[in-house]
Amino acid sequence: MIEVKNLSKSYGNTKAVNDVSLSIGKGELFGLLGPNGSGKTTIIKMLTGQIKPTSGSLKVHGVEVLEDPIRVRELVGIIPEQETPPSFLTAEEYLHFVAKIRKMEQYEEVCEKWFEFFDFGDQKNSLCKDLSRGTRQKLMFAQAFLHEPELAIIDEPLINLDPIMQRKVKDFLKGYVKNGGTIFISTHILEIAKQICTSIGIIYKGKLVHTGRLDDPVLQGRNFEEFFLELVSRPGEISALA
Amino acid sequence: MPSIYSMPNRPYMTLTHAANNEKYRDYSRDFMFDIFKSMIKEEWRMHSNIFGSGGFALFPVFIFLFTFFVSLVLPVFREIFTDAQIALGMHYFFLLVGGMVGAFGLMCREFMNRRFGQASLIAYSSRTLPVSQRIIFANFLVKDVAYYFALYVLPFIAGFALAAKLVPSGNFQLPGTLLILLLTLSLSFMIGLSLVFFLSTVYAHSGKLLFSGLLAISIFLLFVFGNLDSNVFYSLPSLSFFLNPSENQFLLSFVLITVPSALSLIFLKVDYPQTKKSFSNSFSGLCGYLGSYRYAAFVVKDFLDLKRSEGGLGKVIFSFLLPAALIWMLLSALGKVIPALNALTLFSLVLGVLSSSMYNWLTEYDIFASYAFFPLRVSDMIKSKLNSYLFLNLVPFLLLTLLVLNKEPSILFPSLLLFLSISLYMVSILVYLTGLSPSINLYNGKTFALYALSVMPLLMINIILSMFGPYYVLVDLMLVPLAFYLLGQSFKKWDCIENQLF
Repeated sequence: MIEVKNLSKSYGNTKAVNDVSLSIGKGELFGLLGPNGSGKTTIIKMLTGQIKPTSGSLKVHGVEVLEDPIRVRELVGIIPEQETPPSFLTAEEYLHFVAKIRKMEQYEEVCEKWFEFFDFGDQKNSLCKDLSRGTRQKLMFAQAFLHEPELAIIDEPLINLDPIMQRKVKDFLKGYVKNGGTIFISTHILEIAKQICTSIGIIYKGKLVHTGRLDDPVLQGRNFEEFFLELVSRPGEISALA
Repeated sequence: MPSIYSMPNRPYMTLTHAANNEKYRDYSRDFMFDIFKSMIKEEWRMHSNIFGSGGFALFPVFIFLFTFFVSLVLPVFREIFTDAQIALGMHYFFLLVGGMVGAFGLMCREFMNRRFGQASLIAYSSRTLPVSQRIIFANFLVKDVAYYFALYVLPFIAGFALAAKLVPSGNFQLPGTLLILLLTLSLSFMIGLSLVFFLSTVYAHSGKLLFSGLLAISIFLLFVFGNLDSNVFYSLPSLSFFLNPSENQFLLSFVLITVPSALSLIFLKVDYPQTKKSFSNSFSGLCGYLGSYRYAAFVVKDFLDLKRSEGGLGKVIFSFLLPAALIWMLLSALGKVIPALNALTLFSLVLGVLSSSMYNWLTEYDIFASYAFFPLRVSDMIKSKLNSYLFLNLVPFLLLTLLVLNKEPSILFPSLLLFLSISLYMVSILVYLTGLSPSINLYNGKTFALYALSVMPLLMINIILSMFGPYYVLVDLMLVPLAFYLLGQSFKKWDCIENQLF
């Protein structure tokens, strides 16, 4: 579903992403892990054709991203890092607006299902600008899955959600993958990755320092947090923290 | 030199200290000048971040040049208006600028968050810094006065003074008059700033209190002044001081600045009452009316943004119809002084220019980041805004049609043609230069210069040609293909620019 080869992105002299290669197959729930500012969001923006790489190639859902970024965004459901629904539409109007952009014919029922799933039907007539951050995240979740994409790319999926909704979303994502969907998430919360991902990549300062399945022998019998910190910390940093 | 970002831990922050119940000492007084400096830096960095540092640094230069060139026609204005009326216009303009600066500074959190994520200014940081709200806001006021004096007031006066030296401009040429003008325009600016600060403080306590207070003051003023006539407007103390310098008027100006500011600081409250609004779904119904029209969803969304945002559709009246009415009155007066000028033709021209400001409204409520993850290009969004622009242009189109039919039906066709071609050309220039962010990108010095160069000569040529009869406008039809070419180029240009802020 996702093929990335030697991907790099520079901003002036700063290398935000440095020679990253990745391959994610159908039915995987891939988690890109890394500390803040390590390049996770930049990779997501390149995967979805929102920004162009400095070098390298990307293929998403069989489409060359550089050649047809619009087709990629048609096929994929995307939740960006910051929840940004337009301010003066209500929650329900926003979902209908997204359905129109995605040229869906029948959408009222699907929208209704999402209001029920996230239990925020009582706020569907509130303006997006007045919604809490958690509710906005629910709305962004709903818009990404409205057209039932085969691949979803999600930047920090559980941010701002309460524990009940977090559980609901985790179960949903696991079920989605079980039914043949593919999910790419980025997060810096290791626990999430451990609970739901089938495979992971760890990125640090723009470089992919580890990829593999969570049941990889390398990880067996090891503390996942320790493993992560070893890869993303400067020498002496962990002991200093301790 | 300590700064408010590097304040050491203070003893009053410890439990022992609280237990001893010693008197709280506000250490923020030690950092007064640091707060002021930091706020000035913050304001500059905020603007240079949005507009580009080089471009924004040139902005006062363009205020200077713009005022200079406009002031060169002062002799013509003096044929139509008295010096007192010109001074009145300038003083109320600066009163308004002061008010706008104050309103933006105090209520810009939403704008800031849209542009910079969850950003916060020092002005809102009293909860996180060991500095009292009053000290912070006192600095905020002084910072606004100093910063915008350098940005707006000084370049304006300098441009005006230079032009007044070069063209016959009566008393405005005298150095003494110009110095008093510098003082009184600054006073007007500060009165506007101070009044808005006060009104926002009242509003923070109670919206109802503000509106009932304003109503009571209006009734009181009507009662005191009886039938309002234009002389009432000369009661603005800074203006009265300019026209007839006296100690009393200066003191009154001083009181109008200090008392509202002091009251605002005493009763300071920074959290505004929030009203949550709820609307039933109008989007789907309105889209239904537009059928399979390609941009239906976007046009309806823009309409709902305009309707539901602050001011609602009243914006059309206050930001468009009222200025249009004032311009019509001005042009009618001008037509009487210079009979060669056809007021209706000129009005069609100015209306075309004024209409392009509607594009600014349409681009104010969202940023492309809200759409970047949908199958849309920047050019798709620009096209959707242009479609909404076409719909909004029906308002000036109808206004012009009614006016021309009422005054001189024989020139209906050329007037409408002129309006449409100018409106299209103006919006194409705006789109080419500023993309989806005209209200931000136009503040860039270079962009503003290009905009002025693309528009001013055209307007001057049109004014001159209009003296040869209304059908000269057929020449303006050449602008139509040029506008379409510019729009085509704009779509390519903005699709290639990778910028998360637009």
